[in-house]
Amino acid sequence: MSLEGWMPVINDYLSLAEVIDLAFDYRGNTTIIKNDGVDIVGYIFNRNRDVPEPYIQYFDQAGNGPFKLFYSEIQNIKFTGKDTAAGSSWQAWVERKEKEKGERAAPASADSA
Amino acid sequence: MSVPLSQMWAVTAYVLKQKLTGQKRYPLVLMLEPLFRCNLACAGCGKIQYPAQILRKHLSVEQCLKAVDECGAPIVSIPGGEPLMYPEIGPLVEELVTRKKYIYLCTNAILLKEKLEQGVFKPSKYLSFSVHMDGLREEHDEAVCRDGVYDQAVEAIKEALKRGFRVTTNTTLFDGASPLRVRQFFDEMVNLGVEGMMLSPGYSYAKAPDQEHFLRRSKTNDLFSQILSNPKRRWRFNQSPLFLQFLMGKRDYECTPWGNPTYNIFGWQRPCYLLQEGYAESFQDLMTNTRWENYGRKSGNEKCQDCMVHCGFEATAVDETFGSLRGFRDTVAATLTGKL
Repeated sequence: MSLEGWMPVINDYLSLAEVIDLAFDYRGNTTIIKNDGVDIVGYIFNRNRDVPEPYIQYFDQAGNGPFKLFYSEIQNIKFTGKDTAAGSSWQAWVERKEKEKGERAAPASADSA
Repeated sequence: MSVPLSQMWAVTAYVLKQKLTGQKRYPLVLMLEPLFRCNLACAGCGKIQYPAQILRKHLSVEQCLKAVDECGAPIVSIPGGEPLMYPEIGPLVEELVTRKKYIYLCTNAILLKEKLEQGVFKPSKYLSFSVHMDGLREEHDEAVCRDGVYDQAVEAIKEALKRGFRVTTNTTLFDGASPLRVRQFFDEMVNLGVEGMMLSPGYSYAKAPDQEHFLRRSKTNDLFSQILSNPKRRWRFNQSPLFLQFLMGKRDYECTPWGNPTYNIFGWQRPCYLLQEGYAESFQDLMTNTRWENYGRKSGNEKCQDCMVHCGFEATAVDETFGSLRGFRDTVAATLTGKL
């Protein structure tokens, strides 16, 4: 299931660290909402919580970066960009090939009839 | 096995040096991904699903060379993305040749003929085009989700061979592959004159469009046993015979995830070429701060349970060759007899 469009609510059941893990795994841009009220749109490619001050790394929407943000600076992350891993290119290919096979078989069946 | 003697010697000397200096973990092949952009969208590939601004980015030649020097591996594999779409591929290869690195430029070959005609590359014993071929025409075009790519690749292979380049093929096999058709494919590639072939089962990338056709471990053993039992003498494989025996279920190996470290626009990928669990800022950081005990089959990590991919296990096979008399003897025997 894609997280595209999800607006998480950080509460007792869902921590910011969990949302960051999901955002790290997400293959689309997200909107990072900072504690100071500034929103940043970008692609989060790394996160490290095994350090005294956990952080994320991202490229912004224009491809500039990498930039670093500490967990302590982040309020929430919204999954606003298209999920590029949720594409259906392969399914579309399979369906097209099946259709072609069907069309090739159809004249042959008509001939034999 | 069909690796040239000079390359075999370079790898042997490198591995022996690591052993003699007591290096327990050492890289064998650097997987250098200068970009993620590709001109195909293959069903089994989980490497190219990124937003546009990421796909537009690529490493500079300086960044690539810094990674090569940091890593020190004798072999540099350049996958991607499609490396022939990297605007600096000519200068990068030239620099790597100067550094006497053995290069496997992994390409779908759609652009290869054009690049050869433009004179982007010069033949060298250090440079091999490793052309992605997932089987005969029907199977390959289906795997890459586009008609006509097999024919383009064959034409490019012929052109590269005519111009004196080393050419190998790399083949990923998925559930449903026909052993007989794969054997026919080997014959076709040998007839074309490729130096050697590389094989691997596909890895079940969570981000790949096709999630249905990845092989589980026992199926991998069955498939590769059927394909490789009674191999023809004329077939040449550009990889360790012990790794092929592992695929056939004749050997039980543990993964060597640090054997093929990966560097790309995000940094040094943890822990391996297939899993993306984070990035290290330096090679040293990757090697020292990755929790290697969390990966490989014995770790219990479910992402590793069915993986038998070359980037994790070929290094194990090579290590066995140089790490035990039995491994050395078996490698020599398989190389001389052609039997697996």
